[in-house]
Amino acid sequence: MRAVRARFGLACLYLGALGLSAQAILPLLWMLSTSLKPPREVLATPPTLIPAAPTLENFARLLTQTAFITYFVNSVLVSGLTVLLTMAVGAAGAYSLTRFPFPGRESIARLILCTYMFAPIMIVVPIYILARRLGIVDTHTALVLSYSSFCLPFSLWLLRAFFQSIPIELEEAAQVDGAGRPRALVYIVAPLALPGLIATSIFTFTLAWNDYIFTRILIVSDELKTLPVGVQDLFSAAVVDWGLVMAAGMLITIPALAFFMAVQRHLVAGWGTGGLKG
Amino acid sequence: MPGLADAAAPDAPRVLARPRRRLSPARLGLLGILPALLLIGVLILYPVGYAIWLSFFDKHSFFPAERWVGLGNYARLIRDAEFWDSLWKGTVYAAGTTALQLGFGLVSALLLHRAFRGRTVVRALVLFPYMIPTIVAVIVWRWLLNETFGLVDYLLVAWRLTRQPIAWLSVDHIMTSLIAMSVWQFAPFVTLSVLARLQTIPLELYEAARVDGASAWARFRFITLPQLRGVMFVVILLRGIWMFTKFDTVWLWGEGAGAGAEIRTLPIYTFMRTFTYYQAGFGAALSVIMFLMLMAATALYFRLFWRDEERA
Repeated sequence: MRAVRARFGLACLYLGALGLSAQAILPLLWMLSTSLKPPREVLATPPTLIPAAPTLENFARLLTQTAFITYFVNSVLVSGLTVLLTMAVGAAGAYSLTRFPFPGRESIARLILCTYMFAPIMIVVPIYILARRLGIVDTHTALVLSYSSFCLPFSLWLLRAFFQSIPIELEEAAQVDGAGRPRALVYIVAPLALPGLIATSIFTFTLAWNDYIFTRILIVSDELKTLPVGVQDLFSAAVVDWGLVMAAGMLITIPALAFFMAVQRHLVAGWGTGGLKG
Repeated sequence: MPGLADAAAPDAPRVLARPRRRLSPARLGLLGILPALLLIGVLILYPVGYAIWLSFFDKHSFFPAERWVGLGNYARLIRDAEFWDSLWKGTVYAAGTTALQLGFGLVSALLLHRAFRGRTVVRALVLFPYMIPTIVAVIVWRWLLNETFGLVDYLLVAWRLTRQPIAWLSVDHIMTSLIAMSVWQFAPFVTLSVLARLQTIPLELYEAARVDGASAWARFRFITLPQLRGVMFVVILLRGIWMFTKFDTVWLWGEGAGAGAEIRTLPIYTFMRTFTYYQAGFGAALSVIMFLMLMAATALYFRLFWRDEERA
């Protein structure tokens, strides 16, 4: 009797796991399937689950007949620069917050955490007016600066937690042995902080890569748009070309997921200390 | 700005410190945090302050002319039926999605905490909806729920669950479909946060309970749930705030849908006032009110549910 119950429990467990994976992944597989269908099959009733005549036509049209490549390059550029700027400023700040005692340090840390509360919608209007005054509306600079300052509170918080977990004694020992602070940083602190640096860069990259609202407001020229806004314009056409839109969806998703899969095991470590904003 | 970042790079002291006079640790520390403070100050704190200032003016979103109206925008807001309507819709959306995410996320986390083959893969897959860009989540679901060619309606009719295809983006169903799609997108955050906490509950607690003859349900009720209280406190707060201020998912869901007015939540209304009607002052007043309401709700939430032992 007991064995039967255990079996039943196990079956439920696997069924649950299967259902959980299915709800997460099936919509994305449907996107893949649609993107591989020729236009007539896309709208066929009954729908074919697996494309009867798979073709890369949608992808070819996307790359040649739309500005997709431009948007893609813009997205890579903006997200990459955001990660670089956030990591440089964030790592320096977090290191200072954990290693150098200075007046007001705790209140600064708390103030930074508070700014994590603000949602983009509350500040996009003033940011837009500020960017106009600085003459940087419709530039990637405006985007990179906005994303970086928006990522900073959480990045600082996350990195601070990681730096705190690295014993100061290690650095002191290296310095006693004659290594200066820069060398101690490169050889002792950086390798130990690597998981934290990776978790923080995923968070930053994802935010910049996925963002819609800042680009929508700060960018006017078509050739400067990033992917989410560029693809939305494809999607807002009078008659939606679903095969084309799904192909675009695939090509935006792949880099985000690839980046995520590559560093996924570091992410779970960071999650315990706060999670991702979104 | 790159210059600032360079100055803050870890090897800066070597460049800045002259041979005779090295920087004191306090100076060095302040120097390190300065670029971060500058960015946050200029691009977050200043805009917030400026939004508050702007809310006392009648100002066009693009032209520089502005006129002081004192609390005029706020007085107007209280009499504005559209404001109250958007507040109600925003609250329904935030409360509905947060509650469903919690339920769904909690159950998923408990399941993924059990040991089974392929658990690592499933854990990664479950996170996908949260990692993909919002625009992708929206176009995928708009396609799945398409009234004429969508897979969901086709299956519902084929399996005889409904007689007619359901118009998911119509006035009657757009809020439901938006909530369902948002829960799909954001529940993984709850799943992973709870899962991370579950993994830190000491196993000895369960062993001791088992020795004492506690049933599976009793172990869940008296060990797991109390241990999860702290993480649930934080997750509810964050998800509630983020769903109440959610812009992109809601905006894109209503885009071109015709019934978009049915999901005009407070963030959408704020955006429209500023960028469709160009009333920057009124828009700013709306965002200030949104912020004040969040602050009040957060304070109340802490008063009601915060316990000292949850300090994590």
